[in-house]
Amino acid sequence: MEAKVGDRIVIKGHHIGEPDRDCEVLEVHGESGGPPYLVRWGDSGHESLFFPGPDAAVQQLHRPETR
Amino acid sequence: MLVNDALRRSGVGVAPDAAIFIAAGVMAASGVGALAVIDAGRLVGIVTDRDLVRRGLARRMPETARVDSVMSTPPATIPGTADLDDAYIAFRAAGVRRLAVVNDQGQFLGMLTVDDLLVRLAANLRDVTRPVASEVQTPHHGMSSPPEFDTDEARRPVVPL
Repeated sequence: MEAKVGDRIVIKGHHIGEPDRDCEVLEVHGESGGPPYLVRWGDSGHESLFFPGPDAAVQQLHRPETR
Repeated sequence: MLVNDALRRSGVGVAPDAAIFIAAGVMAASGVGALAVIDAGRLVGIVTDRDLVRRGLARRMPETARVDSVMSTPPATIPGTADLDDAYIAFRAAGVRRLAVVNDQGQFLGMLTVDDLLVRLAANLRDVTRPVASEVQTPHHGMSSPPEFDTDEARRPVVPL
């Protein structure tokens, strides 16, 4: 997985009725956009390190093209 | 199959000096029941929701107490490149419900739980029992399709009158 600061990561719920969760990437600690990431959780605003698994997907922040 | 391939959930980590109420909040927000405790990129412990209750709340620790005061250390780990069969042995030997999966440098990758193994076992069991269940419910004795039912034959009396 590759992510950039400002990207949103969505974690799919594992059980019926379990909601998806999301967090915002604050820092990228791995090489070339790789994990781990320092993230802020949407639910609570708490910060933690995040090590993405197969349940996580990056929603990239829309950035205007640079010329 | 390797341990890495059996990981189903993302891993979440906190620093050893994080307050236990922060750890609880991260657990609630992320939906995980165990956090890796990471110090300068190094895995130093595991803290579970049970640790927060038994070692924190039950002992009337303040909510600002540090995570490293309630974590389990050293953490039970398994390499991500280990065979999944080794995980069963590791779970039995360590007597835990979660193993921290690490890479060759000992860095945390994710958490393997007993539940992950149970889900995989259940899926495997379902796969191998499906043909048996099918045979029991609709016996066809190896034929590709069940024989057509001969209605004339069925109407014929078994014992000639």
